[in-house]
Amino acid sequence: MTSVEAEAIAIRAPRLRIERRAVAWWMLRALSRWGPVLAALVVSYAVWEPARVWLVAPIVAASAVLAARLLVEPWWRYRVHRWEITERATYASSGWLVQEWRVAPTSRIQTVDAVRGPFEQLLGLSTLRVTTASSYGAVSIRGLDRRTAEEAAKRLAMVAELAEGDAT
Amino acid sequence: MSAPTDDAAITAPTDTDPAEQPWRRLSVRVVWVDLAKTVLSLAPGVVAVGFFDVEPTLSTLWPLLLVALFGGLGAVTDIVRWAFTSYRVTETEIQRRTGAFVRRHRTVHLDRIRSVDTHAKLRHRAAGLRVVTVGAGQQNGAGEAALLLDALSKDDAARLRRELLGLAAPAAENADTEPDAEVLATLRPWWVVYNMFSVWAYLMAAGLLWGLFWLVSTFGVDLYGAASRAADWDALGWLGVTVAVLVVGGAVGAIGMGVNFFTAYWKFELARVRTGGSTHLRTRRGLFSTREVNRDEARLRGLSIGEPLLWRWMGMADTNVITTGLSVWDMEQPTAILPRGPVRVARRVAARVLGDPCPLDAPLPRHPRAALRRRLWWATAIGMVPPAAVAVPVASGSASPWVLWAAFGLWPLALSGAVFAYLALGHAIAGEYLVVRSGLMSRTTSALRCDAVSTIAVRQSILQRRLGLSTVSAMTAAGWSAYEAPDVAAGEAVGFAAQAAPGLIDEFAEGLGDDGGHVRID
Repeated sequence: MTSVEAEAIAIRAPRLRIERRAVAWWMLRALSRWGPVLAALVVSYAVWEPARVWLVAPIVAASAVLAARLLVEPWWRYRVHRWEITERATYASSGWLVQEWRVAPTSRIQTVDAVRGPFEQLLGLSTLRVTTASSYGAVSIRGLDRRTAEEAAKRLAMVAELAEGDAT
Repeated sequence: MSAPTDDAAITAPTDTDPAEQPWRRLSVRVVWVDLAKTVLSLAPGVVAVGFFDVEPTLSTLWPLLLVALFGGLGAVTDIVRWAFTSYRVTETEIQRRTGAFVRRHRTVHLDRIRSVDTHAKLRHRAAGLRVVTVGAGQQNGAGEAALLLDALSKDDAARLRRELLGLAAPAAENADTEPDAEVLATLRPWWVVYNMFSVWAYLMAAGLLWGLFWLVSTFGVDLYGAASRAADWDALGWLGVTVAVLVVGGAVGAIGMGVNFFTAYWKFELARVRTGGSTHLRTRRGLFSTREVNRDEARLRGLSIGEPLLWRWMGMADTNVITTGLSVWDMEQPTAILPRGPVRVARRVAARVLGDPCPLDAPLPRHPRAALRRRLWWATAIGMVPPAAVAVPVASGSASPWVLWAAFGLWPLALSGAVFAYLALGHAIAGEYLVVRSGLMSRTTSALRCDAVSTIAVRQSILQRRLGLSTVSAMTAAGWSAYEAPDVAAGEAVGFAAQAAPGLIDEFAEGLGDDGGHVRID
């Protein structure tokens, strides 16, 4: 996949790919989120007899979601997620069913964070989060190697410091 | 109400050394106002007990006791607040200290101040008090004002406002129109029609009737019993009763909303005030409680006009400015520069605020038919959820078949919604502005300055990819933070994004101008 959407969108994909370990991270995340939901439904199906007839549809739906998130989503996301940081902007693509690319100008950057959740720590991964003055304008780059993310954060913070104005 | 000497000593002239600006205090009249409010809210109960021979037992008196308790507590907290709160304006910033147990010291830079809002409830006005709210950028979205001073004496408030906005002292205090104010709109009484009908009318009616019920029950009158005897409810049947309740409730609510509108927007005026280098959009309104909001035009990023679906036939519109530093969640709607009114007026005012030609009047070409198909698919999917949820129970006989048919009822409603949502779509670049229009329940046209766009995003779901559509979002620090053009033709999306945020994505774009030439190459 060389561009987000070959001819229709005339923008090239960001240059860099994310770590392959991110696939494992997405699998762990899917298990931790949808596993308990399915388990709770199955347990109530087994225990609570009068409600069985109402629980068939939710159980089927939850199993389908879990299967998709566990087996399809991580690999799909690995193909889509890409990133690139230049002097003037941060550019990243993400998503699977809903794909998105976003560009945030360096001159509007307010904070740069490297965030590491419990599963990410386990896998030595890190999420780079670049926020602008807009509460929806943050660019999150997931599945970076810990050191790569820290270096990128440091470099961005340095470049952003040079920009003038109150960045709104 | 109280002697003005309370304030005189504290607010001495401050032309001394700027570094040694004295701390100023809130008006001590705040405490008296609080006590007076408590006494007044006790009055009906006292009258009932004293003059109407209502038996003073615990069951009739507990509301009174509660009111007295809370009133007393409120007065005590106000005394504490008054004693521990002080503020001062220096050359570069405004500082406020507050809190008895937890001391808070807040400093806001003068050049970060986006708005100064003065309001007064009736009790404040009677005591010559004003509540001043200072808005700055970073609290946007958090629903919290940067700095609130509750309350200052009227003169102190006027002086503080002048200091913060850099205004010169006016020749005549409280003159309605200064010579440098350009009035953009004033209240037309018939706008009340636009403000009487809404779902909130029923809530209002419920509140009014509930209050009335409790008030007269203090005097020993049973309103519910009287209403029960007034008509033969059994003869009407449940349908008749429902209709009667809806009609009566709606009428009471509509009248209440009308009265409410007049008290809130009495003497409404929108004006552009020029002072030195800056201009402000100022609104003034209110009969009993008054409110004045000054919005710095340098912070203005655009304007949006929302037209509610159910009332579009009568051309109803809400007009809001897109600006940094004013919360869109505030119940008092400081971003609204006009009351709900006719869309013609909204557009005329918008043209005067944003300048001619108004970007909101730009022609918005219809989106591709695929956008309609996407909405119809979604409507169908959503319409099928209730039938799917009841399918197994109905099939196995646990629920009767009419449940299934009722569940299908959502579908046609969703389909017609899809058509309206499609017709609302539109986007364009008009001069320096990016214009987007969308929304089902409220069709909102927003014009946002391109140079205010901070992040640009283009999104595509699987269905959108199949249909050749993309959603372009422009993020900004102002207003709702994100303004979207849903379902733009995919081939057009990058071009639109490039124009919405000039220069931002050029280095990542390739083959610009190859497909159709709707993209600038520069």
